[in-house]
Amino acid sequence: MQLPILESINLMAVLPVLIIAGWACVLLVFDLLIPRSRKHWTAWLALVGLLGAAVALFFQIGHFARLGSEAAFDGMVTVDGFSIFLQVVFVLTAIVGVLLALDYLPRHGIERGEYYVLLLFTTIGMMIMSMAADLIVVFVALELLSIPLYILSGFAGMRETSEEAALKYFLLGAFASSFLVYGIALTYGGTGTTRLTGIAQAVTSDALNLPLTTVGMGLLLVGLGFKVAAVPFHMWTPDVYQGAPTPVTAFMSVGAKAGGFAALIRVLVTAFPAIASEWGTLIAVIAGLTMLLGNIVAISQSNIKRMLAYSSIAHAGYILLAVAAAQRSENASFAIGAVVFYLLAYALTNLGAFTVAIAVERDDGTGTEIDDFAGLGKTRPWMALAMALFMLSLTGMPISGGLVGKVFVFQAALQAVPGDPLLLAVVIIGVLTSVVSAFYYLKVIMVMYMREGEGKAVLPLALKTVLAATAFGTLVLGIIPGPVFQMAQRAMLK
Amino acid sequence: MTITPITIAFFIMAAFTLGGSLGVVTNRNLFHAALYLVLALFGVAGLFVLLEAPFLAAVQVLVYVGAIAVLITITIMVTRRIMGVTESVNRQWPLAAGVSAIMAITLGFVVLDRFAGKLPVAAVPGDNIVRLGEALVNYDAYLVPFEVASVLLLAAMIGAIVVARE
Amino acid sequence: MIPLHWYLLVAAGMFALGIYGVLARRNAVAILMSIELMLNAVNINLVAFWRYMAPEALNGQMFAILVFAVAAAEAAVGLALIISIYRNRETVVAEDINLLKW
Repeated sequence: MQLPILESINLMAVLPVLIIAGWACVLLVFDLLIPRSRKHWTAWLALVGLLGAAVALFFQIGHFARLGSEAAFDGMVTVDGFSIFLQVVFVLTAIVGVLLALDYLPRHGIERGEYYVLLLFTTIGMMIMSMAADLIVVFVALELLSIPLYILSGFAGMRETSEEAALKYFLLGAFASSFLVYGIALTYGGTGTTRLTGIAQAVTSDALNLPLTTVGMGLLLVGLGFKVAAVPFHMWTPDVYQGAPTPVTAFMSVGAKAGGFAALIRVLVTAFPAIASEWGTLIAVIAGLTMLLGNIVAISQSNIKRMLAYSSIAHAGYILLAVAAAQRSENASFAIGAVVFYLLAYALTNLGAFTVAIAVERDDGTGTEIDDFAGLGKTRPWMALAMALFMLSLTGMPISGGLVGKVFVFQAALQAVPGDPLLLAVVIIGVLTSVVSAFYYLKVIMVMYMREGEGKAVLPLALKTVLAATAFGTLVLGIIPGPVFQMAQRAMLK
Repeated sequence: MTITPITIAFFIMAAFTLGGSLGVVTNRNLFHAALYLVLALFGVAGLFVLLEAPFLAAVQVLVYVGAIAVLITITIMVTRRIMGVTESVNRQWPLAAGVSAIMAITLGFVVLDRFAGKLPVAAVPGDNIVRLGEALVNYDAYLVPFEVASVLLLAAMIGAIVVARE
Repeated sequence: MIPLHWYLLVAAGMFALGIYGVLARRNAVAILMSIELMLNAVNINLVAFWRYMAPEALNGQMFAILVFAVAAAEAAVGLALIISIYRNRETVVAEDINLLKW
């Protein structure tokens, strides 16, 4: 006998999220039973949950490839190619986040089971963010994404920088969320609904609402711009990335950013097509500024975590350019494909780079200077080779996912509004800043191979696995991008 | 505009809200700032009553005044040594005031642009609170945000324990 | 009945004051209080819109309830962080914050 309620709820649509949410609660109880010296059991259990979600996602891919998109819970969430693709990215990132922490936490004396539980919670937030079809869900999912991350960045509590990072991240994050929710309130007032599709109808049919909804959208952009670290809302990034424990930095540099972009695209493309040229222009300007600032300030950094923080700001700029290219609906699916492809390439490359940073970092949290990479070319040839690949990919050199991602982004921007001087200018800025970025990325390679040094690194099996997987992924995306890009392009199904 | 008891009540509550807010952001003494916060929160509760949302007014008093404001006061007491700072604002305060003024003008402008003038107002249905409660746990209504918020509160609780322990 | 825009103007004023507080105050607790002001301004907006635009629909009030939940969660986490920093260091790093410089 089937329960009628369970049929109409459509639990299948949110199955991966449910698995992780349920498992996180189970883990919370298990963790109490696990003795303090055996906390790595919690990590392995967390991995089991994430793998379960991965299996569920795998079945969903087949299911929704046939159906297209599907709304669930009376249209509160939408499951489509876009959300499934991003959920795959989130689950993979979370798996890497667990693997990176496996040896890092005990080495640094901060091993606690709650790390893994909080990691699962923030992953749920990201996954729901990618499915949200209602501004209320966007808001609560953003908070679920953020609050565990505030705690995780302060996880190395005895280190002064870690707690400062957490407080700074928290205060600015809460500040940005209140902008976001005020923007949602204004949009609700102007349109009478919080449903994305409903907003789209109300905005087109009623010119009276335009100033109000435009300001509402602007405030929404402030909140999401903060999450993706776009200029001028990037100020928290360097200090937080540097202060947080490195596995957390790796996880949030990918997860929080992709979550922010997921919501940004859903909200802009679905709810505000009527004012697309306005937000397109605004986002293009922000994209240009973000690329310039991120790349130029990154040159002068000597700390690898800070350098990667500015690099992550710069990459937000490239992704924003593709978001701006989604302003015209004919071009939207290509542009969104470029966004999710870039996010995947960036995720693999950046996680790999942070893995190397973790291997080089010493137990007291020092060893994060770029100079500490000296001599790695001799002592750890394979790791140095992988790091070189990641740096080349972040620059956008051939046979790496980074290059293909950038090509797609620039192509999307050029196609978006043919002959538009602003987008053309931003594309030129993008190309030039990519050249500039070679300075600081290649410096890391130079230090590894050309400079004499101890070249000390600790590389346990978990890190080796992550390193091999991310390097392999970066290469695959660089050499045969076609299949993945096609999947990415089918991502947003109307 | 005729002066009725309702408008007088509105002005009193608005004065509580805005005056309290001003006190929070300008008062040098943190204790006094927290008391002003309580005043502003009560003002908001009063506005909720005028808006015929008695349930939210009650929640406002219980959650904000009863829990959050008390929590803030306790924190100020525990970290008492940070009190008595002579300078309560940083040197960038003129810039902050500028940003705040621009924001106030923009928001005021769009609100007046859209909502000035009289709107037809419908009555609040009598079973409003009942429906609110049902919708929170109805899978065809607000089950998803409700559950996400529950997980959020659980995460915040664990987080606070992690931070505060040891 | 009181015009809708009166409520909205009160909310806008409260929000702007909150922004000033966040940017200008130096003490973490004061900044947190200013953030609470901003969230309260949002709630005034939501409830006012609900009352005047669609009292028979539920989303305005529902949203306000969720903002309460989020505000409580933020306050709990934020105050825990502040107390923990204070305890670990005695001299408070949470002091002397300048959000515009960050």
